[in-house]
Parts: sequence; structure tokens; C-alpha cells
Amino acid sequence: MSETRPLAASGRRWPRDVIGLAAIALAGGAGYVLFPDSLAFLTRIISIALLVLSLDLLIGYCGIATLGQSALYGAGAYAAGIAAVNGLTDPVALIAVGALAGGVAGLLMGAVLLRAHGLPQLVLSIAFVQLFHEMANKAASITGGSDGLYGIAPGPLFGLFAFDLYGKTAFFAGLGLLLLVFAALSFVVRSPFGMTCRGIKEDPLRIRAMGIGVRPTLIKMFALSGAVAGMGGALGAIATQVVGLDSVSFELSANALVMLVLGGFGSLYGALIGTVIFLGVEHEVSAINPFHWMTLVGVMLIAVVLFAPRGLYGVMTDAVARWRGRP
Amino acid sequence: MISRRVLCAAFGLAMLGAGAAAAETVRVGIIGPFSGPFALQGKNFQAGIEAYRALNGKSVGGNEVEIIYRDLPTANPQQARAIAQELVVKDKVQYLGGVYFTPDALAITPILTQANVPLVIFNAATSAIMEQSPLVVRTSFTLWQTVTPLGKAAIERGIRKVITVVSDYGPGVDAENAFKKAFPAAGGTVVESIRMPMQTNDFSPILQRVKDSGADAVFAFLPSGPPTLGFVKAYNDNGLKAAGIKFLASGDLTQESDLPALGDGALGLVTSYHYAVSHDSPENKIFVEAARKAIGNPAELSFPAIGAYDGMFVISKMIEATGGKQDAAKAVEAVKGLAWISPRGPVSIDPKTRHVTQTIYLREVAKDASGQYINKEIESFPGQTDPGLVK
Amino acid sequence: MQTVLSIAVDAFAYGMVLFIICIGLSVTMGLMQVVNLAHGGFAMIGGYIASYVARDMGLGYAAAVLAAIIGTIAIAIPLERFLYRRVYAQPQLIQVLMTIGITFCIIGITNYIFGPTLKTIPLPAALSGPVDIGFRTIAAHRLFVMVCGLAVALGLWLLIERTAFGIRLRAAVDNAAMTSALGVRTEFVYAVAFALAMGLAAFGGVVGAEFLPIEPYYALRYMVTFLVVVSVGGAGSISGALAACLLLGAVDTTGRYLFPDFGNFFFYLAVIVIVCAFPRGLLGREQARG
Repeated sequence: MSETRPLAASGRRWPRDVIGLAAIALAGGAGYVLFPDSLAFLTRIISIALLVLSLDLLIGYCGIATLGQSALYGAGAYAAGIAAVNGLTDPVALIAVGALAGGVAGLLMGAVLLRAHGLPQLVLSIAFVQLFHEMANKAASITGGSDGLYGIAPGPLFGLFAFDLYGKTAFFAGLGLLLLVFAALSFVVRSPFGMTCRGIKEDPLRIRAMGIGVRPTLIKMFALSGAVAGMGGALGAIATQVVGLDSVSFELSANALVMLVLGGFGSLYGALIGTVIFLGVEHEVSAINPFHWMTLVGVMLIAVVLFAPRGLYGVMTDAVARWRGRP
Repeated sequence: MISRRVLCAAFGLAMLGAGAAAAETVRVGIIGPFSGPFALQGKNFQAGIEAYRALNGKSVGGNEVEIIYRDLPTANPQQARAIAQELVVKDKVQYLGGVYFTPDALAITPILTQANVPLVIFNAATSAIMEQSPLVVRTSFTLWQTVTPLGKAAIERGIRKVITVVSDYGPGVDAENAFKKAFPAAGGTVVESIRMPMQTNDFSPILQRVKDSGADAVFAFLPSGPPTLGFVKAYNDNGLKAAGIKFLASGDLTQESDLPALGDGALGLVTSYHYAVSHDSPENKIFVEAARKAIGNPAELSFPAIGAYDGMFVISKMIEATGGKQDAAKAVEAVKGLAWISPRGPVSIDPKTRHVTQTIYLREVAKDASGQYINKEIESFPGQTDPGLVK
Repeated sequence: MQTVLSIAVDAFAYGMVLFIICIGLSVTMGLMQVVNLAHGGFAMIGGYIASYVARDMGLGYAAAVLAAIIGTIAIAIPLERFLYRRVYAQPQLIQVLMTIGITFCIIGITNYIFGPTLKTIPLPAALSGPVDIGFRTIAAHRLFVMVCGLAVALGLWLLIERTAFGIRLRAAVDNAAMTSALGVRTEFVYAVAFALAMGLAAFGGVVGAEFLPIEPYYALRYMVTFLVVVSVGGAGSISGALAACLLLGAVDTTGRYLFPDFGNFFFYLAVIVIVCAFPRGLLGREQARG
């Protein structure tokens, strides 16, 4: 799993970040204008995008193999949901609760997953998410079990904007959250801490030789990743007002991984693109032909591997580079 | 499509001329598992709906009814909310129907009042859904409803000690609680209760435990489909059948589409349920013929089809009562207390709970004259409401 | 004592079913370094073919097993040639993506052709029905599965450790460039190993159909179990896979008998403990590349 792209992007990057954030905001705005009747779906994309971003932090930047990311997402969703059912109604506070719970779950997962590498690590992550799933199912008196946790009634955002049928509030809240998280992550992945993580991915031995603790660094990244995933889960809980066992399922983890690889891991933009394309195709194809969309998704995945192994974002950057290279 | 619209418009004009209400296209959004592991149940939704439309026409009171199917493969509340919202806001449906899983129904109920749309549930079987919104009507069943009569029926068959074995999730727990209430109330004892994890591949150890428990019978609940097969096989292979330990279950375990796979091993299993495809009545004959045609492969017809068929009947009555205008409260009000003869037998909508009141049948798996496996009805318990709601 | 024996018998039978289905995956993952998540899909294809041959064509069980193995290999070879060969040297994530895609396609197509209902493979009279083994009754089929599992383990061990083909395969795995420089047609060796793995998958799918019933979602439903078992054993190691299957089968069965309410907790806790204690798998090979 070695890649030979240059590690450190030199010099002034922040104008590019501003352009990137503006592009995301623009895409969100375009989504709002083009699909004003599908805001609940767009909110779901944002919620899952946070999950995929958090997965990218571990896979793309640290080289950690995991199929258990939804444990962190679900921890955030259930924590926010349980807090809401017990009387905490401020949406911002609920997102914070989700982030905290996700972060704690991330620490726990890091402690387990860092005991192995490669395939065994992947298996540990699967066992981890299955245990979470079992616990959520067993603790039905708190989590609602397989019937789902319901009765979540978030109060208006900032005391002004109520969550309603049309989902405008949830959508703009989600978009704002995504922009904040994305800006923060763009900064983090280029900070010395982020570079250390990438260094660990390329060559852990050398990082250790430099006197940097590999484990503490990665554990920190797990906590950060958990917080991001937890916020995604909390957003989903607030927007849907129900939390189901699917939010701690292996299937969700696997789907998130597919979206990430589809978009291209190791780049935050790749995570976003992958999520939008995968969920968009699933949504459209399953609406046009609800009976046979699975085969088409399968064909799409195979095509990506054969023709765009670096993901769709990789294809785009290659195309840009080629276009620039031309006289 | 266009020509149909034009026709419809022309028809509407004619009606106007005759002084009747203007005809409108009434859209009905159906959410169900049309792909994925539960695709068979979704297919049965579709078969029930199409059977209804084949037998009763595609318009109600001059209003053309258009069905929009949307796929929701597994329990996923987020997706359910997104789909329901889109159906209401974008496709402008006046009615929502279908819904196989409880969490999905719970995710849809919060938007109904603002959307001014009733939800007619074809399956999702947890009692509590009905309390979440006054605009929900349900034409399926709850496990409390189907299992409760089994308590008395077991006593009548000389069974005194029962061990319950259920899959560890919402419906399984409902079934266990219902049986644990009904059976002792009729004079029996539940000696032990086992909840098995959903992902159980080998049932032999569990049934060995059942055998060792010394009970006269085992009461079981598993979701219909693949796990049933392993469970019934283990019941036979571990010698429980030979030892005379009776097998009681909710009818989910012996749904008709699973019976050919279960084979002779299932003969003699006693279940209680609201519908058997082999139910003997003129209404059912007509329904089964139409539904089999709609589903393609006759062996695939199973219980969700009847929930969908009666659900379409209820929706039609709602359209009739509102003259095709969007008025959810009036529509729901109109079907409260509605009683009719369904292919499953006499049914009505309980005005208090908006859940279907129906006959629950005690059945035994048997072979019919042509060698097909059927759920043969041996006793009926008419007029059952949902004991899970009337507390 | 009787209880212990009873649990042991069930555990052994379940472990053997896992072994027969998973050993093929162990070969692809350990020896060919492909994380083939579509493995369950091929087992399922085998099951469907066997069901068709035995039930719809009315041929015997043995013919069904044979047809399943040959048919599955026939379907797998073109896939190996055109799809798998392109990802042999790719990162594991890419392999995961591709094989999940293949799994989706297999599920979609089977659902379309055979419909969503359960398919059974009728057993011959000798294998169906319970047999009394003294302290309890057990399905005759379970005894058959135990024998099959042991036979597969022995046969595979002989093939890989004792034949010329086995030597070539192991050489190709450790250093493909050097092996082909020595005149071994590595592509051919890989293709044969892949066909072997798929044949084993089909065999497992058919023989294990009494435990894991054949339906379109088979391919996804048991994906996790298969992957976990192989990794715990250490990919590529026959004895490791055998040990893992027996151990996990024992944990699973004992847990389900004694504390059925918490069955899955035991299984996954055991997985976490074993992987933490043996990060390379119980008896895993050194990974040639990481």
C-alpha cells in the first residue's frame, strides 16, 4: 500500500483552501437550488460525508485498515439521540455530545485496533463494530434496540430555526457543520501532526527513529476521527429524529469504505466526491428501477477499479495536470 | 403516460360537465424493500397492490390513482425519512403506504401532520408506532395480536410447560412477551426463555438446550426467511420431533414462500397468524389468483401481499371519502370503524387504535390434495384487537 | 459429561462446515494475496447449481456436487482472467472494492435468474434424517460434513506441501519475478490455484447448505464470518484455518448452548482476544508484502 506522491505540499496553500471551501459551499447551494424537494436526502449525504471524511483520516492519512468506522458514527448518533430523549434539545449541544461520544469511542477503538496491522487489523475493526451493534441491540431499554430510538425532538437551531418537513434547517445546519469540519481538517492534515501521521503511513520505523511515539500519535488521530464521525451521527439523529441499529452496522462501514475508495483516499476532497457520487447514483438508480439497482452499483465499482484505481478525485487531478502540462 | 393523462383530463372534463367533482390524479407513494435481503417481501407488497388494481380498477371515484414505488432495502430510518420527504414534497403524493420495518415507520411518523398525508402501514408490526401520529392506519398485524391466542390453544392441546426461543430483536421480544403473558394466563408455565442473536447460523446447540429443558413444547419466533430453515431442520435433526416436543410459533416462521424449502420437516408445526394463502373463501380465491398473476412465480406469494391488498382498499376508501382532495385528517376519520370482508376474513379498523381488528387462525403445516405444503387452518379466534396497544 | 460431549459434537460439525467453505478463501488470501470478498458469492453459485441439478433435473447428490464444482470453476476462470488478474499486485483496498463489486453483481444476477426464495439441495436418503450416536441424535449429514472437512484438509495439505505444483505455487507467492525467471509460468500457476479455491468454495457451499441456506444474499450475509475465520487462522495456512475453525466453532457453539442470549458477544470477544494475542493469525505465514 505504498504511494509515491510527494508528501509535503510546499508553501502557501490557504488560498487554495478558501477556493475549496467556496466550492463546497457552492455545491451545497447548487444542491439546494437544483433539488429543493430532496433536502432530507442532501442532509443524509452530508451526514454520511462526515463519516467518510473520518474514515479517510484513518485510512488515507494513517494507513489504518478499518471496516468498523460506523461504531464511531453510531456512538455519536446514539449519544445525541439519548441526550435528546432525556431533555437536551439544543441542536448545537447535541452535535457536541455526538462529537464527544464519537471521540471517546475512537480512543477505545484505537486502543484495540493498534494491536495489529493489515488484515488482522481489519478483522479487529469488524469484531469491534459487531460488538457495538450487539450492545446497542441488547440495551433496548436505552437505545430502543431494533425498533429504533424515537422521540428525538430537537429544539430550533440557535432558538430561531425549527426543524420541519422541508428539512431546510437541517440541511443548512449540516452544510455549515461540514464546512467548519472541512476547514479544520484541511488545517489538521497539513499541520506537523498530520504530516507525522502520513509519515507513519509511509514508514513507521523511520518516524519512531525520529523519536516520535507512533502509538500516541495514531491514538490522537483516532479520537479526532471519532469526533468527526460522531458529529455526522449526531447530525443524522437530529435530522431524522430516529436512530436505528443500521447506524452501527458493518454494512454502513463497508459502504463508507466503498465511497472513500471510489472518491480516492488520502484526499479530503476524494472523500466528499465519493460520498456524493455513490449516494447520488444509489438514490437515482433505485428511484428509477427499485428492483435491480444492485447489479448496476456492482458494475460501477468494478469499472472504477479497472479504469480509475486512484478514485474519481485521482482521475480529476490527473486530467487537470495533463491539461496544465499542455503548452 | 401522456396519453393516459390526456384521457384522464378528458374524463375529468366530462365529469365536470355532469356536475360531479373534478377528477384529479391521486398519487400514492409506496415504500418497501424491493431489493436486498428482503426483496421477496417487497415483491409481495407490489403483488398485493397490483392485484387490487387489477380487480378494482386504477381509479377511485373518477380520480386516477398513480402508484410511485420507492426502494428501502433494509431498516434505515435516515433513508426512510429522505424518501418519504421526497415523495411528499417533490412527487406530491397524497398518501404514503407500505413500510416493512418499524424504525422506518417511526422515522416517517413525525412529518405526517405537517405534510397532511396519512400513512397506511402494510407491515411494520410494533404496537407503539400507532401512538406516534394520529394519521397512521395499519392493515397488517402485531405479534401481540397473532401470538396471544396461541396461549389458550396450547393449553387446549394438553401443553403445560413451554420454553420460548426467539430472535433477539424487537419483534422477537414482542412475541416472547405476548406468549409469556397469554400462556400463564391460560394456566400454563413458561419454564425458560431464550433470546438468540440475529446472526445465528447453527441452531443445533440451542435446540439441544430446548430438549434438555424438559418442556412439552417450544414456542419460537424468527424472522421469516433463511434462519427459519436451519431452525426447523435442527428441530428435526436433534430429535425433538421424535421425542414429542411440540412446535408452536407465530406464522412468520411458516410463511408460504418458505414452505417448499422446509419440506416434510415442517409438517405438523402449529402456528397462529392472520393470513394463510390457502384460506378457504371466495374472496381469497379471487385475490390469490390475481396476486399470483402479479407476482409471476406462484410459490413466492406470502403474507405481506394481504397487508398491501387491504392497505390499498383502505387508501381507496380514503380517496373516496375526500373526493381526491388532500385532507389527511378527514381521510383517516373516514376509515375509522370501517369493516369489510377481506380475503383473510372479516376485518375492521379499530376506531381507537387505527389498527386492524381481525380473525387470528390456528394453523398446522400440511400437504393439500395436489401435494403442495400449506398452512391448514384448524381453529379461528375472531375479532382480535391488538393487546399490545390496549394496555 | 453428556452435555460436554453433545456440545463438542456440534462444535466440531460447525467448525468443519466453516473450514470447508473458508479454506478456499484462505488459499486466495494467503497464497495469492487477494482479499476476495466475493468468495461467498462463488460458494453460493455452487449451491445454486447443485440445487438446480438435484432438484430441477432430478440427478443425484454426487452429480450435483460435481456439477457445482465444475460449473463454478467454469464461471470463475473468465473472471480470474479478466478481473482478478488486474488486481493481484494492487493494494488491498482496491481488491476489496473490486470484489465487493463482483459480489453485488453476483447477488443481483442470481436474484434476477432464480428469484429471492430459499433453494434447497435434496439430500440422499443415507444422509438425511437423524442418527443415534449413543448419547444423543445427530443429523447424518453432520457426520458426512465432518468426514468431508477432514478429507479436504488432508488432500490440500498433500497438494501444497508434497507435490510439484505446491512447490511452484509457494515459490510464486514468495517471489513471483524469481519464480518466472526460473521458467515457471506463474500466471498459469495462479489461475490453477484460483480455480482450486473456487472449486473448494463451491464444494463448501453445497455441503454447508444445510447450515447456511442458499439464497441470493448468502454472498453478503456470511462475508464477515468467512473473513474473520480466515484471518484468525492466518491466511494461507491450512492447519491455521483448521485450528481457527475448530476454536471459533467451539466458542460459538458453547456460548450458544450455555448463554444463548449473549452468543455473539463470545464469538467477537474471542476474535479480538485471539487477534491481539496472535496478530499474524494462529499459524499464519509471514506476509510476503504488507
